[in-house]
Amino acid sequence: MIARLLLRVVSWSVMAYLILPLLVIVGSSFTATSYLAFPPQGLTLDWYGRMLGDTSYLAAFGTSTLLALVATAVALLLGVPAALAIARCEFPGKKFLLSLLMSPLVLPHVVLGAALLQYCAALGLMRSFTALLVGHIVIIMPFVLRSVLPQLTPEQRALEEASADLGARPMETFFLVTLPQIRSGLASGAIFAFISSWINVELSIFNTTAEMTTIPVKLFNYVQYTIDPVIAAVSSITIGVAALAIIILDLTVGLHLLSDRR
Amino acid sequence: MSAAMNRALPLLAAPVAFFAAFFAVPMIVVVSSSLMAGGVPSLGNYARVLFDQYHWDVLAATFRIAGLTTVACALLGYPLAYYLVRVVKSPALRRTCVILLVLPLFTSNIVRSFGWMVLLGRNGLVNDALVGVGILDRPMRFLGTELGIVIGLVYILLPFIVLAVGNALAAVDPALEDASSDLGATPFDTFRTVTFPLCLPGLMSGIVMVFTLAVSAYVTPALLSGGKITVFPMLIFQQYSTVFDVNYGGALSMTLLVMTLVLVGLAGWIGNAGASATGRKAQ
Repeated sequence: MIARLLLRVVSWSVMAYLILPLLVIVGSSFTATSYLAFPPQGLTLDWYGRMLGDTSYLAAFGTSTLLALVATAVALLLGVPAALAIARCEFPGKKFLLSLLMSPLVLPHVVLGAALLQYCAALGLMRSFTALLVGHIVIIMPFVLRSVLPQLTPEQRALEEASADLGARPMETFFLVTLPQIRSGLASGAIFAFISSWINVELSIFNTTAEMTTIPVKLFNYVQYTIDPVIAAVSSITIGVAALAIIILDLTVGLHLLSDRR
Repeated sequence: MSAAMNRALPLLAAPVAFFAAFFAVPMIVVVSSSLMAGGVPSLGNYARVLFDQYHWDVLAATFRIAGLTTVACALLGYPLAYYLVRVVKSPALRRTCVILLVLPLFTSNIVRSFGWMVLLGRNGLVNDALVGVGILDRPMRFLGTELGIVIGLVYILLPFIVLAVGNALAAVDPALEDASSDLGATPFDTFRTVTFPLCLPGLMSGIVMVFTLAVSAYVTPALLSGGKITVFPMLIFQQYSTVFDVNYGGALSMTLLVMTLVLVGLAGWIGNAGASATGRKAQ
């Protein structure tokens, strides 16, 4: 009984610990004081107005969004065929290939960012959108593979064979049978990939400039010198985007986490 | 074989070419420049890294912070995972908690660390609360201490452990636990001999994930250290962003990479050995 009570207390304290910092940021973005105050003193939307008036924030939001969208699209275009080959075909070095494609998950992003800076400098692409893009595609590819691979099951394969037996061309089978069946994996992979790109700092920081920067990198550079409620307002917007992405994910494919799927 | 190869090749050509061009080759460039000094092949950069006490101090601090973070994440995350999977009965409440767990994961490290900069400041909510309740006489310094960095990193990495353990727990058939208690085991014995060993692979994968991310974290330590504490990724960043010494920076990168991979391999090996040992006992 005591153990149960203790478990309950620890669990709710940990939940509080997870939520508190986000609440503090959102709360203090409404403060009427010129410094960050939590609980907020007064209530104002001035800081959001200031943010909207500063074109550099809007530009950074634009860069981040474009980068995440293009990176996700390319990662899907490269990742889905790779997943199909890995799930369907036997070829030498398959295990090695899969670990190579998944390795950005455990590789320190700082190391990869530094490597891409040096490499893109040699190619004349240093601190360009392309340099950012290729790095983001590499680090989000594992999310696409991890979501799509488990859906390419033998049962799903049987339906593809049925479609081929009935005379469908490979492309027809892919678009009419395979794609609709793996769409929930595609959706969750795409959302995880988009968000991982959208929040990245450690990789992006090497290849951004003062003029072309993403929103997390801009926040990082700013927060190191000044902290004011504008930062809290910008951060709150990113928390809002995250919440929106999770709700879309939950409503469309469902967050099948911590529940028995059998 | 060759028919399968013929089908695999067109699917793999583009992804493999992309990873070769923008992942494998850049990493090879780093390795080869780490082995060059003054235009000739040399191990001098590694000697510079390894024969300098300062680097060992920074490495020790990095691994100490990552180790403490991992232990704290496991100790806090395990009970929460158990509670959410086994105790919470309402699907709506569990769903809400899962959303609240994933929300921090979907938010930038910057934003989350920034929340702690506000909370842990001299006049922040944490100090106000600790002084108000009477635990502290006067505000304590968190920012610029290893404790502050650990608090921030645990916060950032905790969801990984909760999800890894929780998913492993959800896959354990409750009938096994029922059988154990029907045979007269106390709840604690059931947990110790049935539930815990079955979830060990999930716990280990969570631990490896948290440890690697903690070792390679740059943003959180940079913001919460207040310039007073250096961790290894900061040294790498300095070399590439301000000094632009790619030879020495490459050696630093490889040192971090190799040390991380060795420790991850070690953790996986211990986890496997532990899992098979408990597996044998259970039989």
